[in-house]
Amino acid sequence: MAALAVRCGRLYCGWVPALMRERPCRLQHQGAAVQSDMPIEMENPYKEPPKKCILCGINVDYKNVQLLSQFVSPYSGRIYGRHITGLCDKKQREISKAIKRAHILGFMPVMFKNPSFLTDPKICNVKY
Amino acid sequence: MPRYELALILKAMQRPETAAVLKRTVEALMERGAIVRNLENLGERALPYKISKHNHRHRRGGYFLVDLEGPPSIVSTMMDHLGRDIDVIRRAFIKYPVSKTEECSGIVPVNYEDKLIPKKK
Repeated sequence: MAALAVRCGRLYCGWVPALMRERPCRLQHQGAAVQSDMPIEMENPYKEPPKKCILCGINVDYKNVQLLSQFVSPYSGRIYGRHITGLCDKKQREISKAIKRAHILGFMPVMFKNPSFLTDPKICNVKY
Repeated sequence: MPRYELALILKAMQRPETAAVLKRTVEALMERGAIVRNLENLGERALPYKISKHNHRHRRGGYFLVDLEGPPSIVSTMMDHLGRDIDVIRRAFIKYPVSKTEECSGIVPVNYEDKLIPKKK
């Protein structure tokens, strides 16, 4: 904008900085501009849905030996801990109780994993 | 009356004998005032480990599930009764598992800062 401009009492010759240029003003909203400037209170619209563990919504039963065997070591038959299975508090306890019950009632082997379930998909964070 | 589930493992026998065992078990239950809702057969399969019961080492067994409603006093008397039956390998009364899985709210993030500072009681 190579032109003479008088703004705020200063004389600009040639290039005028953007702040000093005449900005279009909204004449129609000048009265209500003061109130509508504040941020509107609302819940975070970008909030992620709560993280769910793999068993969220699945009913855990002591009779479902295949499901229970997925959380047990194939070599020793030990129940995997929370840091390996990645389950939430409630579900880890439910699985643990169900496995122990299945052991006692004679539904699931104790010292190893049932060989027919060895080819099941791996859920737990174990590398072997 | 509370609802129970009787998990029964019977000796691997021929069909008429298994039927006889189940019949007398259900009759005993009804005698003590229970209402038998359902009787499920989970099949005859190899036991997960060898079970020694009544001077016998069992490797195979028939799995049965009895869904019943009865007074709480039935548990101890029936366990006694079934313990004396030579054809029953394992018996167990369990509270009927009511499936209520709709309210799972997901993993709630733990606020570790709050846990660090002990709250004054």
